Amino acid sequence: MKKLRVLLVDDEIMIREGFKRLFDWEAHDCEVVGEAADGMEALTKIDDLQPDIAIMDINIPIMNGLKVIELARIKHPDMAFVIVSGYDDFAYCRKALQLKITDYLLKPVNYEEFGNCIDNLKIAMFQQQAVQDVEQQEERPIHGIIRYLQEHLAEEISLSILEEEFHLSAQYISQLFKNEIGVNFLSYLTNIRMEKAKKLLLSTSLSIAEVSEQSGYGDYRVFTKIFKKAEGITPSQYRRDFLEDTLL
Amino acid sequence: MIRMEIALFLVLAFVAYFYFSSEKKHTLLHQTFSVLLVTVMINMVFDAITVYTVNQLDTVPKLLNDIVHRFFLGSLVLVVYLFYQYIAVLVEEETGKPRYLDLAAKFFLIIAEVGNFTLPIVYTVTPDGNYSDGPYVMICYGAVIFYLLLCAGLLIANWTGIENKKKSAIGAALLIEFSVCALQAMNHAWLISGMGLTLMTLAFYLTLENPDILRAELYEQKMSMLYLKSQVNPHFLYNTLDSIRIQAQLNGDKKVADLLMRLVDFFRLSVKVDCPMVSLDDETELLEAYMELMCYRYPELKCEYDIDPELGMEQVPNFILQPIVENSLLHGLKNKGYKGEVTISAQKTEAGHMEICVKDTGSGFEEGKKALIDDMLLHYDKQAPKLTGNSIGVLNVQKRIKLMCGREYGLWYSENEDGGVTAHILLPMGEK
Repeated sequence: MKKLRVLLVDDEIMIREGFKRLFDWEAHDCEVVGEAADGMEALTKIDDLQPDIAIMDINIPIMNGLKVIELARIKHPDMAFVIVSGYDDFAYCRKALQLKITDYLLKPVNYEEFGNCIDNLKIAMFQQQAVQDVEQQEERPIHGIIRYLQEHLAEEISLSILEEEFHLSAQYISQLFKNEIGVNFLSYLTNIRMEKAKKLLLSTSLSIAEVSEQSGYGDYRVFTKIFKKAEGITPSQYRRDFLEDTLL
Repeated sequence: MIRMEIALFLVLAFVAYFYFSSEKKHTLLHQTFSVLLVTVMINMVFDAITVYTVNQLDTVPKLLNDIVHRFFLGSLVLVVYLFYQYIAVLVEEETGKPRYLDLAAKFFLIIAEVGNFTLPIVYTVTPDGNYSDGPYVMICYGAVIFYLLLCAGLLIANWTGIENKKKSAIGAALLIEFSVCALQAMNHAWLISGMGLTLMTLAFYLTLENPDILRAELYEQKMSMLYLKSQVNPHFLYNTLDSIRIQAQLNGDKKVADLLMRLVDFFRLSVKVDCPMVSLDDETELLEAYMELMCYRYPELKCEYDIDPELGMEQVPNFILQPIVENSLLHGLKNKGYKGEVTISAQKTEAGHMEICVKDTGSGFEEGKKALIDDMLLHYDKQAPKLTGNSIGVLNVQKRIKLMCGREYGLWYSENEDGGVTAHILLPMGEK
């Protein structure tokens, strides 16, 4: 698992400093390779440094963040963008969605929650890789475990259950997740449960309690809390926002 | 004839009473009208006196007759000058162009007044009644015509720049005065100048200076000031608070950073005032931010939520929960040193409505207080506008629920068996 290279783009030095020093990049196998304070500088740095991720503000001088993403995409189609903006303006979100950004975070950024965003990014990258691996018939232990997790989502899952199922030590499995995907086991589990819940929320009319149950959360209160932490909005809001979006 | 002057004076006094007793903005226009109103009344007094004395030439000494006549016509010229001033200020307010002819008008006023007080007076006796005549009358009538023509000129020159209502007010007033002047010129003994002035004053009073319009102007001014106050760019606030938060965290003060974060959340959610209805989730989120800050300030304060997640996307009137919870804190838990718990729950009722309860373990209602609150909430539409302190918030919540959701919904209070108070809010479901 190679370290992810990060570019920080914000016109306020305090915001960049905060990201640089208050988020534990090391623990998430990332390093900040550069900073930019305006749109032009961001484009130049993206070309020069070839980062894996850019953390972008929208409202920056010379060229706005969305335009930067649009232009950077041409030369760097695989690059990931995380938008961090003070504006929860629907028009911005819409445009950002069209640009296939990884995440849209609202200022003020909670650095602990920012970790989830990085984890999700890694999981998405891993899953893409896994599809290719399977096509090339390259089966590794981690593939078996994640397949098992996907199939038993709604049930109780823990490292000790996996221990019995795969005859591997809990410590080894835990290390496997860290090395192969770059996130810990629990983050991975939460991530796929949330993905499942989102799918159910949008494609079915199941009640929140039923969605919670099928995503592996016995108590809907716990589910709602975790969902809100991961997505920034409650499950019912998520469902409504999507419905509104399709109506527009 | 003196009866007409007395009647007109009474009408003017009536108008003046209403005008001076109403609250208004202190603009040059209104000040000019105030002076005008007083001058017209003075003129009316002299008018009445001269109408009497001019027909008693044998008994009233000529000197006395001269003096009251000079004061009568002197004040008449002043009134017409003030009319010109009033219209000029009005036109200036409307078009923004300065008053070019001000100096000429003032100069002419001095000449007319000097002439009025120095030139000789002649009295003409006719079977229909007597009237004063001679050079002093000529110069005064000249002044009146001069000012009326100035007014007409102003009106025509700025025809397109003036609001229709104001145009018709000025037009009507001038038409009246021109007709009265023409009649007076044809029949010297009619002595109807007072009628013309009164009608002209009334024309302005009824259209541009009546108390309703003055109050509306004042209200608009107050509202626009409030509006300006709320125009501080919220992003400036968030961004600055966010910078401070990051600095605090860089300095190692995680607690302060977290609190600032919640404060930003609270502001962000509470400025969504442009939508009258929001989802219950939004309301709950605002409340959570508020309660977290309060619980930090008072560590022995606890808060529990029990909200049916299916209700999360139901639409509720904006900003109804926070005032109710704030009320519970200030009137219930404050008396217990902020030691206790607030429970916020939302459930579907059997009848298919939504009931939100805010239950506190506070000190409960004081003796007789519950009856007062019940009465206030029941007769929410008959409350005096200036209630004190916290009742405003609760009453406001009640009013908005009734207005936006219907009269069958609303807010009421009950007392808990184990102490404290519960606020119940009944709301409709399935509204979009």
